[in-house]
Formats: sequence, C-alpha cells, structure tokens
Amino acid sequence: MGNEAIARGALEAGVNVAAAYPGTPSSEVIENLAAVAKERNLYVEWSTNEKVAVEVAAAASFSGLRSMCVMKQNGVNVASDFLLHLTASGTRGGIVLVSCEDPGALSSVNEGESRYFARMLEMPLLEPADFQEAKDLTKWAFELSEKIHNIVMLRSVTRMSHASGNVVCGKLPNKIPQARFVYDGPLTDPLTGPVISTPVGLKHKLQQEKLKTAGKLFEKSPFNKYFGPPKPQFLIVTSSACFLYSREALSMLNLQKRVGILKLGCTWPLPEKLLKKYLRLTKNIMIVEEVLPFMEENIKVLAASYPKEIGVKSFYGKIDGTFPSVGELNPDVVAEALAKIMKVKYKTLPASYAQELRKVAAVIPPRDQTFCPGCPHRASFWNINAALKLDGREGFVCGDIGCYAMAALTPAIGFHTVRTLHSMGSGTGLASGFAKLDMFGFEKPVLSVCGDSTFYHAVIPALINAQHNKADITFIVLDNAGTAMTGFQPHPGLTMSAVGETVPAVDIGKICAAIGAKVEVSDPFDLETTTKKLNALLEEKGNPKVLILKQICALSPEKKGKKQYEVKVNEELCLGEDCGCNRLCTRIFRCPALTWDKAKKKAVVDEVICAGCGFCAAICPQGAIIKKEVVAS
Amino acid sequence: MAKRLSSQKLLKNNVLDAQLCTGCGACVSLCPYQAIYNDRTVQLHYCDLTDGKCHAYCPRTPTDFESLRELLFDTKDLTPEIGAVKAYYLTRAADSEIRSVAQHGGTVTALMELALNEGMIDAAIVSSGNQEYLRYGTVAADKNTLCKNAGVKFTVSPMAAAFNQFTRHEKGNAGVVAAPCQALALAKMKLNQDKNEAKRINQLQFVIGLYCGWALSAEKFSELLAKKYIRMDAIRRMDIPAGKNILELHTANGIREIPLDEAQACTREACNYCIDSTAEYADVSVGAARFAGTTEEQRGWNQLIVRTRKGIELIDLAAKKGFLEIKDAPQESLRDLKKAALEKKKTALANITRKSGSAKNLLYLDNRDVLLRRILGV
Ligand SMILES: Cc1cc2nc3c(=O)[nH]c(=O)nc-3n(C[C@H](O)[C@H](O)[C@H](O)COP(=O)(O)OP(=O)(O)OC[C@H]3O[C@@H](n4cnc5c(N)ncnc54)[C@H](O)[C@@H]3O)c2cc1C
Ligand code: SF4
Ligand code: SF4
Repeated sequence: MGNEAIARGALEAGVNVAAAYPGTPSSEVIENLAAVAKERNLYVEWSTNEKVAVEVAAAASFSGLRSMCVMKQNGVNVASDFLLHLTASGTRGGIVLVSCEDPGALSSVNEGESRYFARMLEMPLLEPADFQEAKDLTKWAFELSEKIHNIVMLRSVTRMSHASGNVVCGKLPNKIPQARFVYDGPLTDPLTGPVISTPVGLKHKLQQEKLKTAGKLFEKSPFNKYFGPPKPQFLIVTSSACFLYSREALSMLNLQKRVGILKLGCTWPLPEKLLKKYLRLTKNIMIVEEVLPFMEENIKVLAASYPKEIGVKSFYGKIDGTFPSVGELNPDVVAEALAKIMKVKYKTLPASYAQELRKVAAVIPPRDQTFCPGCPHRASFWNINAALKLDGREGFVCGDIGCYAMAALTPAIGFHTVRTLHSMGSGTGLASGFAKLDMFGFEKPVLSVCGDSTFYHAVIPALINAQHNKADITFIVLDNAGTAMTGFQPHPGLTMSAVGETVPAVDIGKICAAIGAKVEVSDPFDLETTTKKLNALLEEKGNPKVLILKQICALSPEKKGKKQYEVKVNEELCLGEDCGCNRLCTRIFRCPALTWDKAKKKAVVDEVICAGCGFCAAICPQGAIIKKEVVAS
Repeated sequence: MAKRLSSQKLLKNNVLDAQLCTGCGACVSLCPYQAIYNDRTVQLHYCDLTDGKCHAYCPRTPTDFESLRELLFDTKDLTPEIGAVKAYYLTRAADSEIRSVAQHGGTVTALMELALNEGMIDAAIVSSGNQEYLRYGTVAADKNTLCKNAGVKFTVSPMAAAFNQFTRHEKGNAGVVAAPCQALALAKMKLNQDKNEAKRINQLQFVIGLYCGWALSAEKFSELLAKKYIRMDAIRRMDIPAGKNILELHTANGIREIPLDEAQACTREACNYCIDSTAEYADVSVGAARFAGTTEEQRGWNQLIVRTRKGIELIDLAAKKGFLEIKDAPQESLRDLKKAALEKKKTALANITRKSGSAKNLLYLDNRDVLLRRILGV
C-alpha cells in the first residue's frame, strides 16, 4: 500500500516524531508508524486537528529531530495558518508534511488541491509516481528538509496511497537522537536563535533562497526522469499517478516511439533547466495531472519567461479543455485525448472484454452509500427528524464532516434534515450565524450536529461563539466513541492514545457545560426519551443548548460481531405496503439489514448483516419486528 | 396524465395547510406517518399511498354524506338543522356524586358508567389533560376514572386518535365521547369496507357527541392566559354561564372571568368552517340545557338528542337501570336549538365561501347535498 511505503520511507529516514489527524486516504501512514512505535522508539500521536499535528511535528524539528505530519487534502487548509509562519521561521531537523489527496472525492466532500499551498507558502513539493518512489521520495524529503532548513511537502493521491505494489526496502537506521532546542542565539540566526518569522524582511528572503536551493537540487534529482525517444514528436509532462496513466495510454496506442514522457517527482519549484531542455524537444506539450492545472500554469509561466530558449509551443491540458479540471483521470481519458490530437485510432475496450466486465459488475451487489446496520446515526437522525417535524417550525440541521454527513445524501435514509454541509466544525459556526438572523425575520430553529472527533477538531470555538453571542442554537453531538469514518482512531474523548497507552479522556459534556450551555445526554436508541428531550431543548429560548447522543458505533471493535438482540419480522403481523405502514422500515428507515421480499411483500431481516441493535422494533407500527435479547453464552 | 396526489399530500394541501384541521386525530395512530403534537397534526415522513385511511377518515375531506346518513340513521328522523332526531329530552345523572363533578347534568359520565357496568363496553374513551393544558383522549374503565375526567375543557382533545390508539392495542369494545368533528370522523370509519379495518371499527359500540360551538386552540389560549397571569394548571373547571358573555375559569383562588369575545378570539381556525354544532353523526348528543328563560335549576341538566337505534337502546337501559333522570324537553328548547344550529351553519358556509372564493366551491362540503341545499335555501 502506498501509505505503507510512505511510512517505511519515514522509518528509513529515522523519523522520531509523527503526528496526524485521521482522514481518508491518509490515515494508514500513522497507523503503520504507531504499530512499530515502541520497537522503533518513535513518538506517534493522533492530534486534535491538522494544525496541531504540524505544530507537534515542528517542535520536534526545532529540537533537531526528524518529524512528520500527515493529513488529507483539506487538512492542509486547517494547518495553513501555522504553515505560513513555519515556512518563514524555518525548521531545523528534517520535517515532512504528507498530504494525501482525493481527486474525484471518493471519500471526501471536496477534491481540494493542496499543491497550491506549496507555491503560496513557498515550500518545496514532491510527488511520488509509484510505490517505490513513495518510499524513496519520503526518505529523501527528510534529507532535503534538513539541507534547506525548511518543511517539505509530499503529495500523494488515493490511487497511490491505497493501491499496492512491490517496494524494495532499505536499511533502518539505529541511532537514538537527543532532543535539543537551542534558542539563545541572535534573533537573526534561525538555527540558534528563537524560532520566529520576524524580522520578516530577512526571514522571507532566507525562505526564498531556501526554495531556490531546492530548485537547484531538483535539477539533478533522479525522481525527475525522461522516458521516450531522443526526438519525440510529442511530449507529456506529468507527475504522480498520472505518470502511470500516461505510460499505459502510450502502450495502448503503441506510441512509445513517438511520444516522450517527462515525469516530475519534484513539482515545486520547477527544475527550470531540466524543463527548458525537454520542452525544446518538440512543439507539442501535453500536461497530465489531477485535479487543477497547477503544473500546467507553472510550466506556461516558465515558457513565457524564456521564449527564446523554449520557443512557441502548443500546450494541451486543462486550460484548453483537453482534460477536465474536475475528478480523476485514468489511462482511457489520457489515451482518448492523445489519440485525438495525434490522429491515431483509439480502440476502446474490445467488445468481449467489455462483456466480461459487465458480467463481473452484475454479480457485485449494488451498494449505496448509507449508514451501516445498527448505526446509531441513523437512529439519531430519526429522532432529529421526529423532533423537528413535531416542533413544526421548519427547523433544519447544519451538518458537519463525519459518517453522519451521509444524512445529507438521498439513499441513506428516506428523509432529510441536513441542509448545509461544509468543513470540519463549520456546521456549528453556520448555525450560530443563522440564529442571529432573527432580527431580519428569520424564525426557524437552527440545529447543528457533529461527531465526537469533529467536536475536538474545530467545533469548540464555534460553540463558544454561539454562547458569547447568545445564538439560540440546538447543538447535537453524535458521540459514537471513536473516529469511526476513518477507522476508529482514538481521539481526546477516549482513554487510549495512538500507540495504545492509557490517557485521560476529555469530557465533551463538561466542556459544553463549562462554556455555559445547557447540556442533556441521551441514548439515540431510546426513541421516546431522545425525541422528548430534543423537543424540550428546541422549545427553550435563549443560549445554545447541547444534546449529547451517546451510543457506540456499530462497527466499533467493542461491538463488532456481538448482537444485543436477535431480530426477526413476524410475517403475519407485517403490513408491508398496506395502508398503516407502507414499508416504513425499508422505504424510510432504510437500515441495510431490512430487506423487502418482493414476492411475499413482507419485510425481512437479513440476519447476516443485522447488527442486532433492535431499534427498528421501536419504529414498526405493527410490532411486527420482534427483538429477543441475546444471552451471552 | 397528471399523477394522482397521495392521500397524505391531499391531506396536507387541502386540510392541514388550508387550516381546516380540527385536531380530531382520525388520521393519527393509524400509521407511523402522522402525529399530534401540541394541538397540531404533523406529518413525520412521506407516504405515497393514494387511498389512505388518513384521508378517508378526516372529517375535513370530501364525504359521501348521503351514504353515511343512510348507513346510520332512519331517513324520516333527519332534520336540516340538527341532523337525525329520534327523541329529544332533558336529562341528568341520577347519581349526585357524578353531578357534582360533571359539566352540567353529568349525562355523559352517567351513560359511560352504565355502559361499563352493563358490559356494553370495556373502555370509555374520555378526555384527559396534562399540566400544559393539552388534552388527549384516555381510557376509563371505572367510575373513579370517569369522574376524574368529567367536566369539559374547551381546548381540542384528539378523541379519534385515542380511539385509533385503543384499537391498535386492545381487543375490547369502546364508547367514545366526541366533539362534532370527531363524531363525523368516527362515523366515516364505518364506511370503510376493508376486512381488517372493519374488525377494529366494530369495537366502537357508540359515540356520545358533545354540542360544540367552537373549540379553543391551545396555543392561542395559553398565550391569552399568560397575559392574564393565569396558570394553566390551576384551572379546574371551565364554564360559559348562559347570558353572561364570559368564560369562567374555576381556580384554587376562586373564579376568574374572561370576556367571551377575548376567549373566542382564541378559537381554533378550523372551527370557523364547521357546520355542525350538535354532533350530528353521534348516537346520542349531549349539551347544556340552556335556552330562553333558563332557570338556575335547569343549569344542572343536559339536553339530549337520541339519533340512532343504538342511542335508543342506551337511553332505555339508562332509564331502566335508574342511571338517568329523564324528562321531556319544552318545545321552545328545540326551537332555540335549531335556530342556533342554523346560525352556526350559515356563518360557517359564509366563511367557507369566503375562503374558497366561490359559492360553488364549499371545500370539504358538497353543494349538491340535499340537506345542505335546504340550508342554503335552494
Ligand atoms: C369544545 C367544547 C365546546 C362545547 N360547546 C358547547 C356549546 O356551545 N353548547 C353546549 O350546550 N355545549 C357545549 N359543549 C358541551 C358541554 O360543555 C358538555 O360537555 C355537555 O353538556 C355534557 O355535559 P355533562 O355534564 O354530561 O358532561 P360530563 O359528564 O362532565 O362529561 C363531559 C365529558 O366530556 C369529556 N371532555 C372534556 N373535555 C373535552 C374536550 N375538549 N373534547 C372532548 N371531550 C371532552 C370529558 O372527558 C367527559 O367525559 C362543548 C363541549 C366542548 C368540549
Ligand atoms: S415497518 Fe413493520 S409492518 Fe411495516 S414493512 Fe416493516 S416490518 Fe412490516
Ligand atoms: S381534521 Fe382530524 S383527520 Fe383531518 S387532518 Fe385534522 S386531525 Fe387529521
């Protein structure tokens, strides 16, 4: 797995400290490091958010250690304020920021590009193009960082992080370094004085010199490589997974002898000399990258800056519409574009192959994105919907980031309450804003939700804001005891650290109460009590009110495989499509374990996937869903 | 072809959003899609069925009144003003204990006690309330519970929902106290041919209708009380004494009086479009014995209209077992009643016409209906 290779690269570089906030597709890097933390004498932590992760890693760097921080694409946005100052102050021990991005938003609500941060914050950017490089570039990133005394960013994408391939491992170092933070030198010496971004004029100049040094090193880097004939008719410049797509496209079209590929592992700053050399080879240049035209823009600026050396070119990329600036690319897209420009025949898949593909696809059961069987979030939103409908003032929920974001999606459940969805913590901030619009005639009750992990990450300031400004919001914490979406990484609410140590839990209810909000706690599986409590909170006017809905995630290691109830449908009682029910359980509630027997016209519990939570028994109007407590044997 | 709207959507468009909903609760507890909360009928989830019971039973959806009357009454008993009349009396409970807790003569409570004692019913569905002054239907199976829930509060109590709730969980027979809209809803259930549904509806032995001029919206009324610093949970009894134009609120600290027009301003919107003041679709209907020249003595009596054979049975039994004191009502009483009933019908029809914008569109009513045509004078 690409993420394992990155972790291995860090270990071979002798990383000492690693900090991260979980987020697909990045989480496995830290998980792999945590697994060997003891053995390799590493400090590994799940941080409260990405900004804190970079800060934790930076402290290690300031003390002469090697450190890394890992996040998904939008995590870089969270960390960016600190990064702006960090790149200015400079670093000491090697420090690498790994950003694993998600073109096509396979498991995100955005396909943000963090590469632009490298340009904006003036730090070097590396992009591995295969699994071996994922390891080797990571290792080299530490060396580069130490050479220029600044943080280096390494960017991966889902198809790199989550795909697998062969990697030849190197040796693991064996020295245990001493942490030493030197700060009594002059302010103007970033290596011995206080680590600080002022005086700005001086530090900014230094920062740019560092970047230039990096650019020089990139000229000779083996991670930038040309493949193809010495005099190509056409040149592809590419990086990352797009290199693999481009190579495959060439072999599909049998164009290896006519088209060259310049694969860049170092994409900011651009190795200018190298590019000049290869851009000169041909008039036609195609830039293949995901998602936005980052490299394309940079190459065009370069070409415009040195017209005499480079000459007039025809560029094909995102800007002219050859490729979309949205979503993932793949070999077919590249081949199709190339075929069109080079006027060669491009056969899509042979018919027989396509037929085989369809056959395979037919046996894969269709899977909607939905809440799992036994998911407490489904029950929570059931309660929220009931309370809002009973309340009758057309209240709505500002959503947040986590599994529960699915409540905004159509197939997940048969009703809707979530009306906004943005970044981590923004639901409560938005709610706080909506609530203050009452002076302009806005009267709807406003709710916000967030998961436990998101609460610590970015919700607290928004909740304080609501309290301080007397915003009348009802804030619901969907506390399922873990960062479920990304694979149960511990968070500050739990008593276990990233490496399995016992740590004190930070209590969400106490934080909310300390802020001054009224706090209630309920079990979302207790339909009646939860709805009642929520309605009472909605009716209360004034300051923020908090409802903590506590129920462990159905997939949590504690629960997994253990059913609390044996659940069955009594066919005699089930009303099915008839008036009086009209398939409430399979049409509206939509737990995947409740299936509809079309022939019998009855609901059926799929015992294999039923998690045994028993909540559906409470909603069936007929009492047709029977639950029986499972006695532990 | 235009898609047929679901029953639920029709109910929403034509009844709930049109503010015609009486809060009777006939559409509630039939399925998981509708609920009553704080006096409001709420749709919880989307249902796409096109022949739903909710729409069929609602007293404010179009009704086949002619079939309904045929099913329930003898044609010769029908009057345009107050529906079917088999007999018309002044009555009161023989039991003075009941009279002391009842609204007027305690006829309703006495009839329920009788039916329970005689095994005609296993449950009397009467109205109860919580401290928030919201009413809900409740099951009484003995005299004690009946007396505890005797007397009326003029806020809406979803009695049809209580009946649905009862039949969902219990097998026994029931008698229901119902306001006119609720009596109509319960009557409409009897038109349902579905086998399973018929079994449930047959649990309904009789309906004791209450006369009703209007009912209060709990929401508006509680706002009014708050303004007057009257604690809702302190009200033990409500009365509208004849000829005084006030609403009396009996509290622990004595009687508080509210001008009737202020109270009436809190009427539920739907009541303005209601043409029934005597619970025309009940088996018997009970009201105050109040008419020109009412004496203090008569204040402790009820008017009673017997409408159906079942009603006759019930009253005969009550006389035989000595549960009710019964006397013939004076002629002027019936005349006054009809006059008042006609008045309510005319006002409601005028309001309906104003709402629909056309005398041809009577919303939930049908201008081809024979009895209505007589009221409309055509
Ligand atoms: C909203 C409303 C408006 C009314 N308007 C008039 C009117 O304009 N003219 C008139 O003559 N009579 C009216 N009545 C009827 C009258 O108040 C008495 O209910 C009736 O005279 C029976 O008296 P009783 O002594 O037999 O009652 P009781 O023996 O005291 O029995 C009353 C029964 O009604 C039930 N009840 C209490 N509140 C409600 C409610 N909100 N909805 C349904 N059931 C309830 C009680 O649980 C009890 O079982 C109205 C009643 C209501 C509920
Ligand atoms: S909710 Fe109950 S009655 Fe309705 S389809 Fe499901 S099992 Fe059957
Ligand atoms: S009038 Fe009764 S049946 Fe009709 S919508 Fe209102 S509560 Fe439901």
